[in-house]
Amino acid sequence: MPLSLFWLQGGGCSGDSMALLNLEGPNLFAQLEYIGIELLWHPSLSHGTPRQYDELLAALLAGERPLDILCLEGAVIRGPGGTGMYDTHRRRPKKDLIAALAHRARYVVAVGTCASFGGVGGDGDVEATGLQYRKRQKGGFLGADFTSGAGLPVINLPGCPCHPEIVVRMLASLEGHWALPLNEFNSPLQWYGMLVHQGCIRNEYHEYRVEETDFGRRGCLFFHLGCQGPLTHGPCNKLRWNNRNSKTSAGVPCLGCTDPEFPKQHPFFKTRNIAGIPYDLPEGVDRAHYLAYKGMAAAAAPERLLARKTRV
Amino acid sequence: MMAHRTILNIPMNRVEGDLEISVAIEDATVVDAWSSGLMYRGIENILRNRDAMDGLVITPRVCGICTTSHLTAAAMALDAVSGAAVPDNAIRMRNLALLTEQVQSDVRHAFLMFHVDFTNPAHAQAEWYAEAMHRYQPFKGKCVIETVRETGKLVEVIAIIGGQWPHSSFMVPGGLASAPSAGDLLQCEMLVRQFRGWYEKRILGCTIERWQQVQSLADLDAWLEENDRHRQSEVGFFLRIGRAVGLDRLGAGVKNFLSYGAFPLPGDTTLTPLGGHGDRLVPAGFLQGTTLLGFDQTEIREQVKYSWYEDDPGGRHPDNGLTRPYATGAEGFKYSWAKAPRYRGLPAETGPLAERLVARDPLITDLVGRLGATALTRQFARLTRPATMLPVMEQWLAETDPNGLYYRHPAELVAGEGYGLTQVPRGALGHWLRIEEGRIVNYQIITPTAWNGSPRDDHDVRGPWEEALVGTSVKDPANPVELGHVVRSFDPCLVCTVHAATGGNRNPRNTRFKV
Ligand code: SF4
Ligand code: SF4
Repeated sequence: MPLSLFWLQGGGCSGDSMALLNLEGPNLFAQLEYIGIELLWHPSLSHGTPRQYDELLAALLAGERPLDILCLEGAVIRGPGGTGMYDTHRRRPKKDLIAALAHRARYVVAVGTCASFGGVGGDGDVEATGLQYRKRQKGGFLGADFTSGAGLPVINLPGCPCHPEIVVRMLASLEGHWALPLNEFNSPLQWYGMLVHQGCIRNEYHEYRVEETDFGRRGCLFFHLGCQGPLTHGPCNKLRWNNRNSKTSAGVPCLGCTDPEFPKQHPFFKTRNIAGIPYDLPEGVDRAHYLAYKGMAAAAAPERLLARKTRV
Repeated sequence: MMAHRTILNIPMNRVEGDLEISVAIEDATVVDAWSSGLMYRGIENILRNRDAMDGLVITPRVCGICTTSHLTAAAMALDAVSGAAVPDNAIRMRNLALLTEQVQSDVRHAFLMFHVDFTNPAHAQAEWYAEAMHRYQPFKGKCVIETVRETGKLVEVIAIIGGQWPHSSFMVPGGLASAPSAGDLLQCEMLVRQFRGWYEKRILGCTIERWQQVQSLADLDAWLEENDRHRQSEVGFFLRIGRAVGLDRLGAGVKNFLSYGAFPLPGDTTLTPLGGHGDRLVPAGFLQGTTLLGFDQTEIREQVKYSWYEDDPGGRHPDNGLTRPYATGAEGFKYSWAKAPRYRGLPAETGPLAERLVARDPLITDLVGRLGATALTRQFARLTRPATMLPVMEQWLAETDPNGLYYRHPAELVAGEGYGLTQVPRGALGHWLRIEEGRIVNYQIITPTAWNGSPRDDHDVRGPWEEALVGTSVKDPANPVELGHVVRSFDPCLVCTVHAATGGNRNPRNTRFKV
């Protein structure tokens, strides 16, 4: 029996769905079929008559039709003043529908940073939150104790957007094909147990502290241009994007889009510094040692890197 | 009074924000319509007080389909503030990326959204229905599968230039953050070439060169008769079933057409403006009926009488625009989170049809002159726009010098005002911002869907697709497929679902609007 999937969009931009459409080898529809997922509804892709949609929702909500997986894309909008009326469905707050479906589903998956942690709307007047976290704070919309029918918390797949291969591989794993241990934010370590920095083609420049102060060059973007690759968990430079590239490899600083606090308040294209060394150091690194190491690394930098001869 | 009146509330699931269309129907004909934006995300206010450059990251997240479009507008606005002289190479790469997004969107919209309505059971008796199912059935149709595959390949162009699609921030004031190599450019050329091959074979059924000879309705009819490849192509099939369904009688709008223009011309390009006017490839202009007026952005106002924002009679230019949500969202006569943008006080349609009319495209001008600006011509203008743009993409790739400059350091962004206006897949997009002490103090965005899906304005005048819906006859209120054809011809990038209310009185707007 294929697993049934209902895809719901809250306060978001549909970027996660658009990214999914880019899946290759084979395409999205073939992959879903292959892993045994029946897509009951997707707001950007499905077409049923109005009556079919109403009947489907009614049957799911009444429990007459089993719902295996609920995917939410976009944040839960609670504003203004907790009413949720900034985002409505049939004249009622969309958040009510999200709650009702979440309590019917065997698995609840938050796709993208908005649905996981609140994302772009998290600091705005819309009072956006993720399903089970608001930024780093556990609880979010459904509460810290929420578990779906299968006894699991909301599985968070952050990223803005979430890499499409993560979504499909996550869905494929649900019925116990393989176990996926989760991190402290209930995201699979398989993809969120690594840093964006790993595999960036600017790594050698980073190693010898050959840092850029301006765009369009070959060096590393960590010290001045705001790159958050060494602090951000995600497989951008492993899975790559659109089968081709990644932002940091192309020369765009990592924006930290999988982080619970994305978008952070400080400027995206400027690194906060203390005495010329970034305020936020690579994950788990001690400042004194880092200072010593970076000083030596810079002194050891080979000429070909200083002259930016090595291509990226 | 209510005896023959039905109110349909049609929640349209979204891409750019949830929308609901309400229509009043009498004697099976729409007599009035309301377009409600159902979601407020507060992006403009999130930008306040952030670093001047942060719009490059936040605004692409307005829309996952038009992400490069927002990036382009944001970068142009910052170019303006800093007085950046963007190198020709970078202009070409920015244009190429935006065109890639546009072609992707035109084709995805057609076969994942618009043409899907031809598989609606309302058309099940038509002799072409089986063929439509074969082509457009969601998740399965031949054309749907091919569209997903080919557009997915095409957007790799943006990933090669900028790292990923959607949501990269590779355009920065002064040019690009990246510097594509000769090999990268060659790869882009091959991807465009491959897409063009598919587009010619499946969408046009002929080469782009042959297609470019089609310059009038008479030419088009002759082209259609010429051979079976033309008739069986997507354009040919669309013309045949579009007429059979009566799209040429549906969805005439406000008859004012707006284009901001797009694609600044590099200094050394061989390409010249379409239609011969303006300093961009796609010219700016405002077409009032058939009179073409120059475009002046100071003529834009956003009004909020019917929008869920604090009242502000007369409206404002976005330079000093305000976004002050007026809570509840469900009561009173206000009915949308979208503001009502007006140009010279008038509602305006924007999108491929408007853009090509303003550019005096001979085929589109002749078609609209003879058949009107209807759902048929609107969708036709979108479906065939890539035939104009694919050769442009190839040309700009061929002209790019991989060893040339992609970036020129601009002046510091300390203080100033700027705007970035461009045509994007769905029409006119504008960003306006003001910076003080390196921080954003005001950021205002008007999207194409805000123009097309606008609610009523201060003078109670309907927005474009509200107007286009009036007069539509609806055979089955439980399945008003005709309304889907009309609204989706504007490419709101929404999937439409319909909820039929049994009695008019359930709609609080009834009394307010005295329907
Ligand atoms: S996480 Fe990013 S891509 Fe996903 S809905 Fe939110 S803004 Fe869009
Ligand atoms: S650019 Fe960013 S991700 Fe790449 S090596 Fe430097 S710090 Fe790491």
